[in-house]
Amino acid sequence: MNNVLRYKDIIYYRTLAGLKSEARKNYLGYLWFIFEPLLSTGVLYFAMSHLTGNRGADAILTILVGMITWQWFEGSIMLSSLSLTTKFHIHMQVPLPKYLFPLVDIGTHTVRFACAFLLVLSVCLCLAHGPTIALLWLPVLLILQLAMIIGFSLIISISVTLMPDLKVLMQSIFRLLFFVSGIFFTAEKVPAHLLPYFHANPITIFIESFRGVILEGKAPNVSLLAYNAVITVVLFVVGGCIQSYFDKRLLKLTNV
Amino acid sequence: MSDPLIRLENTGVYYRGGWTLGARPPETPWALRGLNLEIQKGEKLGIVGRNGCGKSTLLRLLAGIITPDEGSIRYSQSGLHVQLLALGVGFEGNLTGAENAILSGLFMGKSRRHMESRLREIQEFSELADAFYHPVNTYSSGMNARLGFSIALQTDPDVFLIDEILGVGDHGFLNKSREAIQKKFKSDTTVILISHEAKTISSICSRAVWMNKGNILAQGDPVDVCKTYESQGSPSRR
Repeated sequence: MNNVLRYKDIIYYRTLAGLKSEARKNYLGYLWFIFEPLLSTGVLYFAMSHLTGNRGADAILTILVGMITWQWFEGSIMLSSLSLTTKFHIHMQVPLPKYLFPLVDIGTHTVRFACAFLLVLSVCLCLAHGPTIALLWLPVLLILQLAMIIGFSLIISISVTLMPDLKVLMQSIFRLLFFVSGIFFTAEKVPAHLLPYFHANPITIFIESFRGVILEGKAPNVSLLAYNAVITVVLFVVGGCIQSYFDKRLLKLTNV
Repeated sequence: MSDPLIRLENTGVYYRGGWTLGARPPETPWALRGLNLEIQKGEKLGIVGRNGCGKSTLLRLLAGIITPDEGSIRYSQSGLHVQLLALGVGFEGNLTGAENAILSGLFMGKSRRHMESRLREIQEFSELADAFYHPVNTYSSGMNARLGFSIALQTDPDVFLIDEILGVGDHGFLNKSREAIQKKFKSDTTVILISHEAKTISSICSRAVWMNKGNILAQGDPVDVCKTYESQGSPSRR
């Protein structure tokens, strides 16, 4: 129990430090938490509206919701893939569970996401049709996506530390996922025979669910969410095994 | 004699230097092999040996940072707090000295409450005055070392592992930090000190161990062990 409290405090202080250092990196500081998704949305809207013909506030909000959901997922996992290598000197000096460090990076990125999400949510609710009962799904969606991010990072943080080549592979996979996850288009644009593949991608399910709840006041597809929940459980089991196996062995296998 | 606080039995550790599947590759050297060592409560154990003899691996093993590849390591009680004296572990430049004191203490196994109750002592010992509440990235390297040392001093582990660090800072602080370490040697805390300097070990330790190639060559009275080490093992005599 003491250790759980101690780990909670470590995550708190390091997340605080992470946020402070991100804010001090640029002149605009914390404002970038909101500017970054807005900027990426602007770029995508500019490029895509000419191709798809979808214009106006609805098209922008559709991309914006997709973009913040995506950036939360991609940013957290990419950041946590390097959590252990960048803090290797700490592991050489104190016995701490390795999973703490990816959790800190996820924490920092989640605070970033939360700022953008709250702003986007309020704008969407004003411009769309106000609060609906479907909003009650938001905590479920947020917790499930956070859990999936943690599940992936448990596996990826150790894997990338042992095999740095995986980082390049991950960048390519994320680039592919960026184009196929429905960030700048919706499921209606996907040919019917490709829909099962489209929905096999858990990020797509999150993006669609958030859009449905926030923009259309529509409850998400429960069976698709259950599919994401099963993936999350599998990730936690596999990730937990990997973390416990490598926790005290990692330092003997690599000295990154 | 009572049960030892820590007992190592036939312990072996090796570093693979990369992730390979399967058994230990034959060319991989053992950092420690067939090591048997007992550490009694309250004793001051000194470890001498040349570079690469396995001293640091032994400290990491004792601190629970790594596990043995063969043999075992047993602690007399679960939750025994064994800590490496490390300066400025995980310091974050953007946090203040006080925040870093708490964070660093948390890393070293202490609770937030414990560290908060020691903030005043840390501030006083480190002689940082108001700078204690400024971000650490505004500190000089001397201030950093003073803060790191003062934090480590307030963590009160059951077993203190010290790797050559016997004092830091300028002349005044060096004496003060040396005195603080000497005090640890006079208290009930179990201390394990690693040093190249046989003289230091023989003057402040109650028992000494001479390590070579991952194993123990001699152990016992520090003066005798250090004499043997200096006559046979010390690079200066070769």
